[in-house]
Amino acid sequence: MYADDTDYGARRIRPFLGGAIMVTSNLFSIKRLVYLLMFLAVLGSWSQALGAPAEPNKAADLFEMSIEQLMEVEVISASRQAQKIGELSVPVSVITADDIHYSGLTSIPEILQFAPGVDVIRLSRERYAVGVRGLHDLISDRTLALINGRSAESPLFGGSEFYRYPVLLEDIERIEVVRGPGGAAWGANAFTGVINIITKKPEDVLGGFVSTNIDEFGDSYTHLRYAEKNRKWSWRTSVGYSDYESSDEAGAGRYVSGNQTLTGNPLLGMGFNDFSARDYFRSFLFSGEAFYNYSENTVISFGTDYSHNVLGSYEFLGYYPSGNGWHETVRSYAKLDHQFDDGSSGYLQWFGNFGNSWVPCLMKWSTMQNDIEGQYNFKVGDSHDVSVGGNLRFIRISTETRNPSDLIYSGEPYDEQLAGMFLIDRWHATDRLTFESQIRSDWYSETQTDWSTRLSALYALDDPKDHTLRFSFAKAYRSPLANLRETSTNRLSLAGMGFPGFWAINAMAPSDLENEETWALEAGYTGRLTDSLTLRADTYYQRFTKLIGYRIIPDPLPLGRSFYRPDNIDGADSWGTELELAVERKTGRLSAWYAYNDFQEDISHQMIRSYAPAQHKVGLTGRLFLDDGWTLNANYRYAGTTPVVGDTTIFDVGASHRLDLAVAKKFAEGRGELMIGVSDVFNKTNGPNFGIGEVTAHETPGRTFFVAMQLRF
Amino acid sequence: MRHRRYIFAVLILVLLGGAIAPRSRAGSEPSQEYKLKAAFLYNFLKFVDWSKEKMGDANEPITLGIIGKDPFGQAFEPVKDKDVKDKKVVLKRLKGFEELKTSSAGDERQMQKYIETLRKCHLLFVCASESKSLKEILKHVKDQPVLTVGEMPGFLEAGGIMNFLMEDNKVRFEVNAATAKHAKLKIRSQLLRLAKRVIEEKATSKSDNK
Repeated sequence: MYADDTDYGARRIRPFLGGAIMVTSNLFSIKRLVYLLMFLAVLGSWSQALGAPAEPNKAADLFEMSIEQLMEVEVISASRQAQKIGELSVPVSVITADDIHYSGLTSIPEILQFAPGVDVIRLSRERYAVGVRGLHDLISDRTLALINGRSAESPLFGGSEFYRYPVLLEDIERIEVVRGPGGAAWGANAFTGVINIITKKPEDVLGGFVSTNIDEFGDSYTHLRYAEKNRKWSWRTSVGYSDYESSDEAGAGRYVSGNQTLTGNPLLGMGFNDFSARDYFRSFLFSGEAFYNYSENTVISFGTDYSHNVLGSYEFLGYYPSGNGWHETVRSYAKLDHQFDDGSSGYLQWFGNFGNSWVPCLMKWSTMQNDIEGQYNFKVGDSHDVSVGGNLRFIRISTETRNPSDLIYSGEPYDEQLAGMFLIDRWHATDRLTFESQIRSDWYSETQTDWSTRLSALYALDDPKDHTLRFSFAKAYRSPLANLRETSTNRLSLAGMGFPGFWAINAMAPSDLENEETWALEAGYTGRLTDSLTLRADTYYQRFTKLIGYRIIPDPLPLGRSFYRPDNIDGADSWGTELELAVERKTGRLSAWYAYNDFQEDISHQMIRSYAPAQHKVGLTGRLFLDDGWTLNANYRYAGTTPVVGDTTIFDVGASHRLDLAVAKKFAEGRGELMIGVSDVFNKTNGPNFGIGEVTAHETPGRTFFVAMQLRF
Repeated sequence: MRHRRYIFAVLILVLLGGAIAPRSRAGSEPSQEYKLKAAFLYNFLKFVDWSKEKMGDANEPITLGIIGKDPFGQAFEPVKDKDVKDKKVVLKRLKGFEELKTSSAGDERQMQKYIETLRKCHLLFVCASESKSLKEILKHVKDQPVLTVGEMPGFLEAGGIMNFLMEDNKVRFEVNAATAKHAKLKIRSQLLRLAKRVIEEKATSKSDNK
């Protein structure tokens, strides 16, 4: 499902190893067996088709082509990869535009769950815990999110906020998932991995486009786009609207809290028994971008994206006020790229991320980030490709409390600054042996100066560099942001029990926090076994220290109250391997992956704000392009049990199988397409799943039938 | 749990051991990219005209030289059965320039013979392995009727005639028409109009066909 790519190089897909190992006896109910057989039958037909001798790029065929025809032949599975495979210094998987389109899915986390090594848990209709190799939660601040290489992490909470990104799915060219510490190349806080969303250039999507997707629950996702190019200008603009009905309205099943520990607990009328799942989420989206080719060597680009979200209220840390919330997000940038006559190149860029939010169970807050950065790429001698760069970032965070149970940030607003510098040297020591050194240092006004590095040796086993070995050492860190450093809150008043001014849950701001640290040893192999068959294997050992969690402090009075204070409380080991195997032909694509990701805390039962990774994960994707414009697509994913780390009030997420099927038919000479499909055929991903600090989880819709149509003009 | 790490270490070794296995077959199987580039080179022969002297009589083949570490493997196999301009195409693989200098150990005659071989080629593909010796190689075929083709940045500026590029996963090429003219090569307009960039006679008048 995931083709390789480019900027990082990237590789693709993964085998169905050990899938059977994970299959429990439950799987073999009649119904599941029927689904399984259907799936296997479809795969069988794919295998036949993929095994057919129609190799469009067979050498003899190529010699029959004209130059014009040759220029249209894509070499994704060869040139870029054959060259780039040998250049990869990190494990990267790429989710392509085709993967996104033919999945029929309408949210980024849903799509990410089909990437190897990525842990995704749905907590409600729009909120997901997403992490690369685990350590994920509702606030997953250990995986760095980027959009077009520009930071997309919340300056207040850290981590990704996929639900509010002003990005339309059909505008995405690819999503690159980097596994392992990536701070040296991608910026501070790329602790366990990086998710980089790359959007399409205007010239790739010229003309008009309209797309809509609706499902059986009344959810909808609509996208209009127009792009144009003239001599020096190219531009693209998109608007969209998405609407997820609440789980209640979707009629998904039981909507009371699934937390047996707390449901019915007389604790202070939290109302868990009456809890309703008002997790609807509506978004208006705008995205605009323009490129101006100032000269042969100079390109100026700029863009602005905007999203407005309205969401239903939810419970957090035992506080469940009614009412609706909203987010507003603006992301803007301006960039100057220049290629110098001596072959060197560089860019200067400004970007600003601005957000306003009101979430009833949290507080009202606003954030501003302004970032100026630059990079210069040049050669030193014949064998060194060097990049140097740096950035300055200015952040302002303001909050507003509206009632006594809001999160309280003392001394706000916060004005923070961050400055970083990096150096990357790629030394082609011999034709086959390349060393890559990346080092980056960041100063953050609120904590400390820290550094990241990645040192890699890549050795090609053959001259065309079809088979490459990689060994790396990497170090990265995660700075605690304002939400960890400054927040305090009091939840669940005990006034009703005769203790006015006392609270059952008391979260206190820490006195001091240090950066979380990690280092990793990695080894990998990337190979193109035949023209159409590729294999990637990555393995790692990663050590974490000073992980920040919540230290439990005893109640000074015998009232049974809970006191929490963030602290650097734990270390951990993580180790595993990811295998990806893919067969790609003009007639289709068959890919499979297996990920083994293990995690062990130094001290048991420490609340380190996260789930551990699901130990075993398997993915399988098949896509078949038939005659007359028909396309069949199937995505399968198995995730083993996802253990919650430390917190006894919430539960592990059980193992689940997920199968998505879609059929698409093009019409109007390929300008139109109709797609029907069903996601989560097994209906096994509907929860309830409990996030840290969110104890009233409920079921969400699982199996979902949808229809989608799109037109280009 | 700790014992799993040892199991895991063994897994790494097994994995790496397995990775070495494909080495034996790798050399003979060209990548898809080089199969494609081989087809491009074959087409270039059709759209470039050499002088009558260079083409020789009907029995003389067209020589396609590859200098350096050859990434094409068996990619030119189909050419065995094909004619270009009513001539057979023969492939000549040449040692890398540095390698030759090392092995010839200052033997001028050997070097001269090597240079003559370069000059006899109709098309000379300069492999990426020759980037360090590029200027020297191009110096020896300067103004000779040899269509030099490379795949490295700055190839045209260094005196090469055609250069491969990759763009959006597709093979593109650029042409230094001025150098071609000095080499007495006529590149047909059908080819020039498809080039990503053409450097005309005056170095300052670059045109972009995009």
